[in-house]
Amino acid sequence: MTIRAPAHAPRAGAPFSSAFPAGRRWCMTGMMDIPAGVIAASEERRRLAGTLAAVGAGSAAAMADLYSRTSAKLYGICLRILRDEAEAEEVLQETYVTVWRKAAAFDPGRASPITWLAVVARNKAIDRLRGRPSAPAAGLDAAAEVASDEASAFDLVAEAEESGRIAGCLDELDPPARTAIRSAFFEGASYPELAEREGVPLGTMKSWVRRGLMRLKGCLER
Amino acid sequence: MTPATHEERDTLAAEYALGLLEGEARAEAQRLESADPEFRASLARWLGRLAPLLDEVEPVQPRARVWARLESRFGPQAAGPVQEPPSNIVQLRRKVVLWRSWAAGATAIAASLALFLVTRPDAPPAVAPAAAPAPMVAMLEAGGSEAKLAATYDPAAGTLVVVPAVLNGAAGHEHQLWLIPRGGSPHPIGMVRPGQPMRMKMPGEMMPEMERGAVLAVSVEPTGGSPTGLPTGPVIASGRFSRS
Repeated sequence: MTIRAPAHAPRAGAPFSSAFPAGRRWCMTGMMDIPAGVIAASEERRRLAGTLAAVGAGSAAAMADLYSRTSAKLYGICLRILRDEAEAEEVLQETYVTVWRKAAAFDPGRASPITWLAVVARNKAIDRLRGRPSAPAAGLDAAAEVASDEASAFDLVAEAEESGRIAGCLDELDPPARTAIRSAFFEGASYPELAEREGVPLGTMKSWVRRGLMRLKGCLER
Repeated sequence: MTPATHEERDTLAAEYALGLLEGEARAEAQRLESADPEFRASLARWLGRLAPLLDEVEPVQPRARVWARLESRFGPQAAGPVQEPPSNIVQLRRKVVLWRSWAAGATAIAASLALFLVTRPDAPPAVAPAAAPAPMVAMLEAGGSEAKLAATYDPAAGTLVVVPAVLNGAAGHEHQLWLIPRGGSPHPIGMVRPGQPMRMKMPGEMMPEMERGAVLAVSVEPTGGSPTGLPTGPVIASGRFSRS
């Protein structure tokens, strides 16, 4: 790792593939006979965790490094959900401002850095899509609202053992449930939108999705 | 309405994690997220289950203007004028780079952390850059021991950062840090763990001793630290703070 001045522009086209290699096993660690690509991924994970720790300690240089290595992935996520460049750019900015403020609280034992970053970006994109709640519920002060923003992302449990299986488990679902869950996840589609697309009553869509989610959970826990 | 059963709350967490909810249901999920630890754990598990799907999303390089807008928030403008680091920091970096090449695997990351940590000013340098005394550094090592640690002391902020570049732990003992004033006896100042940089406020009475060139040492002690208040186990690394 080299030190770069904070003023450096991020490397254009920094390969994200090292953090997210092809296939879905980018979080695997601690196994025997790991393929070389996965070892590289776990090295990258460690490196990102170190960078994130340095960001948490207030290093602007580390922030530039983090941005150069992760922004393309996070921007891809924002763009996929928001389908609008200007909005996706704004959400990407918000994401990194949040990361700058909260990096010190990130626990590498509970989630891989890239998973955490991706989830924070996606949550913010969904927030943008839904609009912020018009007024906080009674009894909730501003601090609680802020706390709720990314609290769950911080609690992210390490999903290493499940990372290769979610796609397989989705494939086991009935096609309508699978399509609905994927559309919700990747495009931020809401229940009414999904029901309209499929031309079914809202209640039907809800029960498809809920049944699908519970089967998904069962499959992942097998 | 708050879902009554555990299953219903888990379903709500899954729907919220997926991003399906709108309006009232979404507000309720957000309320539970901040108020109910069990709901938050459930939500975190669902986010963890679903997150690997994000691997399918193709990266798209954002335009340079995004970073240009962001940079000022954590870049040199925000932190004050860019200053050349003191020469001792440059030396420490070189040393840590050297250590990195000796150290294998996981310890490399601890060493690279040192590179970042030592560059972080605790007080904004813009306030009084000329008046701030330069940081002091110490490289801790000892013959017959693999342990290597880097320490920096920032007199302006009174903070000490210790980064274990190479430090091997073993069950049943801990590594205790000792500050030894010139001509004085060791003061216990804390524990250091393998792979974990530690940062602490220097006790006020020790600050003048730093200027006189105190030694920082690491000894192996029983869990919980030395029972006597003085090192009881072997000193596996030590080094004197200096500015040159």
